[in-house]
Amino acid sequence: MKTLNSVWAFLALASIACAAHTSNWAVLVSTSRFWFNYRHLANTLSLYRTVKRLGIPDSQILLLLPDDMACNPRNAFSGTVYSNADRRMDLYGENVEVDYRGYEVTVENFIRLLTDRWEEGVPASKRLQTDEGSNILIYMTGHGGSEFLKFQDSEEISSWDLADAFSQMREKKRYNEMLFMIDTCQANTLYRQFYAPGVIATGSSEEDESSYSHHADNDVGVAVIDRWTYYVLEFLETQVTGPTSDKTLGDLFDSYDVGKIHSNPGVRWDLFPGGEQAGRSRRVVDFFGNVQNVEVQGNQTGVESLKEDLQGLKRLVQDYQAFAAAQESNKTEMSDVVQRRNLEAVSSGKIRQKQRHTVGKLQLSENAQWARQVAGATVLSGLAALWYFAPKLM
Amino acid sequence: MRLSILLTLPATLLSLIYAQEQHSYTEHLHLKPLPDNSLYAGFTFTSTTPYTAYASNHFRYFPRSLAQILQYTHTAELHLRFALGRWDEESWGSRPRRGLREGGNGVELWAWMDGAEEGWSDLVNSLSGLFCASLNFVDSGKTTRPVLSFEPEGTLEELQRKRSRTGELRLLHGMLPHEVVCTENLTPFLKLLPCKGKAGISSLLDGHKLFDANWQTMAVDVRPVCTPGGDCILEIEQTVDMVLDIERSMRPRESPIPRPLPIEDVTCDETKGYNGHDTCYPRRPKGETAWSLSSVFGRPIRGSCALGGSEKQEYDITFEVPSERTVEITSETTIPQSTTSSGSRTYRLPQNADFDLNLPHQVLGSSAQASTLEQPPLYASRQLTGHGAERGGMHTLLRNPHPYTQRIVYLESLPWFLRPYMHTLALSGAGKMEKMFYTPLLDRKRGTHLELLIEIQPLSTVELTYDFEKAILRYTEYPPDANRGFDIPAAIIRVLPSSNNSQSKQGSYLRTTSLLLPLPTPDFSMPYNVIILTSTVIALGFGSIFNLLVRRFVLVEEVPGNAIAGVVRRVRDGVARIRGMVKGGGVGRVDNGGGGVVKKGEEVVGGEVRKVDGGGRGGKKDR
Repeated sequence: MKTLNSVWAFLALASIACAAHTSNWAVLVSTSRFWFNYRHLANTLSLYRTVKRLGIPDSQILLLLPDDMACNPRNAFSGTVYSNADRRMDLYGENVEVDYRGYEVTVENFIRLLTDRWEEGVPASKRLQTDEGSNILIYMTGHGGSEFLKFQDSEEISSWDLADAFSQMREKKRYNEMLFMIDTCQANTLYRQFYAPGVIATGSSEEDESSYSHHADNDVGVAVIDRWTYYVLEFLETQVTGPTSDKTLGDLFDSYDVGKIHSNPGVRWDLFPGGEQAGRSRRVVDFFGNVQNVEVQGNQTGVESLKEDLQGLKRLVQDYQAFAAAQESNKTEMSDVVQRRNLEAVSSGKIRQKQRHTVGKLQLSENAQWARQVAGATVLSGLAALWYFAPKLM
Repeated sequence: MRLSILLTLPATLLSLIYAQEQHSYTEHLHLKPLPDNSLYAGFTFTSTTPYTAYASNHFRYFPRSLAQILQYTHTAELHLRFALGRWDEESWGSRPRRGLREGGNGVELWAWMDGAEEGWSDLVNSLSGLFCASLNFVDSGKTTRPVLSFEPEGTLEELQRKRSRTGELRLLHGMLPHEVVCTENLTPFLKLLPCKGKAGISSLLDGHKLFDANWQTMAVDVRPVCTPGGDCILEIEQTVDMVLDIERSMRPRESPIPRPLPIEDVTCDETKGYNGHDTCYPRRPKGETAWSLSSVFGRPIRGSCALGGSEKQEYDITFEVPSERTVEITSETTIPQSTTSSGSRTYRLPQNADFDLNLPHQVLGSSAQASTLEQPPLYASRQLTGHGAERGGMHTLLRNPHPYTQRIVYLESLPWFLRPYMHTLALSGAGKMEKMFYTPLLDRKRGTHLELLIEIQPLSTVELTYDFEKAILRYTEYPPDANRGFDIPAAIIRVLPSSNNSQSKQGSYLRTTSLLLPLPTPDFSMPYNVIILTSTVIALGFGSIFNLLVRRFVLVEEVPGNAIAGVVRRVRDGVARIRGMVKGGGVGRVDNGGGGVVKKGEEVVGGEVRKVDGGGRGGKKDR
């Protein structure tokens, strides 16, 4: 009996330790317009097909495509988008759902989508309806620079905007873990300002480095895929073959080859609980696939309540055995049994504590505030002195 | 007691059967080869549901997602169109279904709803989520309330009476001419069908071929049909019309770019004067091209979608083709076929087998070539005239080819940045304007709504012109591809039924093309260029010019002392005096004016200390 109890306890601990996610969402954003940016849409659509193949349904994928390449009059292959010159896989296919298209792909809509601040009437298919158990994959591609990303050649989103949006998501408990992937020029600068925990970020090139396209298709007429995305897809297609694949993020990031990608991709682990070690052990399908765990709501985990039920049953069995024995021996120990049970109920009620979730409070250190106030006062007084004494100097 | 039970039993059975009949689904495909190697294909999918089932959320063939949107927004009748291309009236004749299922380029939506603006905004938002189109851009600036142009297809008054609602249903209409129509619009369209595009004629619909068509419309029409004294049913009719170019559709998906054949396979036109061993004009093959359904659409029809109610229809496919044309059927089972009175062939689809029509190459006799095309009721074309970025003109040509008078309703919904001058509205030619409904524009809030009832004399042409002014938009109101221009939605022309023809009270519809309006567009690189240029000019020029203007060269002697330097000098003197007193014990100090000890390398000249080696002190004196 003791070993059984210890086994139950171990299992309970184990289930608490690996906080599993309960849903998977993907937000795939292309930010470029015009025919010559065909490859950005092809990048995004390749990722779309990959996450669909690994199990995420359309209702949990938000696809943002600012321009139309498939039905573009310049497209010789009508209704088709290719990401490879061998033209073996049609990315548009017969079943595609684009949630935001054309002029709807704006910085404002993207930030509203992330933080779920919509006005009335926005349909559910355009909302990121995640909760605290959702793992989100965010993939962005387009033209960018140091700490900014261009949206449709008319506006920009900066790395600070992204960082603030993610921290809002954290406060609103909108994600469990997030994988942020970005393929633009100087991509690694985009995740430099993140400060929300639980985010793994990876980009295609360092500061002052460009990201390059991989190859062009002569009949389509433009470049069809970018280098970093091409090699990420190669890993995903050859190694992550199904929704139950065991490949980890460590394997994915180790597959980066600077000689092939022609730029230095980067990974940021410091925001992830457990750092690089924990992040590397996460499976790729935790973000790209749709593995669902079930979480039982309540004060105890299922294992613990089962344990308690077993103990209660044990007690009941003992009591009835005693009662039966008393009946046989014609002694009225019934009253004793009832008394004992009442006492036990009272004591266990006191012992059993309700487990409450403690919400992490935002700590504002008092010292930091004071220091800031003093610094501000000195600056102000210095400026005032300067203003007062300046005429005397001249 | 028992008698009443006995009587109610057949009644309940009858009502059950009747109710079952009310849930019905039928589909139909109309094929018609057009001159110049084109093929018209019209797909119609109709499902009905009784109104009571709809109100209690019990759906069988009617799509639930659309029904919930209609319920939530209190829409009685809905018409939604996705269209691209242009119907070539000269080559193809009159439009299919009398233009009732056609839309202007892009997306067009009109609905009868009870309620105010919130219902319309909810409707466009929900439809944008359902159909993956940016319908949410249809706001008050793009919405109009047409008066004469549209008639409800359903029995709306009966419906209102049955539901004992008193308010009137209002018609709202919106158009988005710049909307792209692509596979992401077809996917949810097919998902509304009971067979989801997997069986029946919907299995032919493929985004690759459909959006390569010369002209294409997808339509969703929902209307209530109430019989007086009976129940109401809600009917949804989904239509896909297309005109495919047969040769282009038969190109393989892997290499759609036509490449020339090797010269050995080309037959030369020998009647040409220049025909020789090195000059060859390829001869057009005579007769009708060989084609089949699977080569044009990419796949054969897979089975049939025979659900409740399809027994009412005798055939699934109507093929309107001259009687001499050989048509072979490729299918595993025998297909029941017949011929209608008009000479079209009809077929019934097999339940679980593929179906393909094969037409071999054939040279038809001249009698068969005689045009069976119907003369369209009207020819219309619309252009923008004028030049420059400030103003322009609109010019519409309406031609009546029939020997009787036509009365038409001409509806235009113009965006607010196109400001027409109504005093310049002129109708010239053999026609007169009977009525005019006009709502002027409000900048940034509402566009122009212009509706004209025009009568055109037989066999004559009418020209409608007016001038307009273009607005200058604010910097942030331009779209990301501003230099492309702005799209003006198509004009909708409704040809009212004349007393001669036995047409329904709807009449027929035709739409002009949408237009592209170039507005004065700023140079968006301008602010950056100005900042760079100005900063460079200031950096290079300002410093030198300021110095030139302000700097004055003076001798060292003329420079007056300034206050702080005096204070500093006095402090330094005092310190040096104290030091001297401490060190030298009050030995007479040299009055050198600069205070204190004369250092090595310095000499006292004229009461001032100056460095002997004459360091770079310039004209200024350092005291």
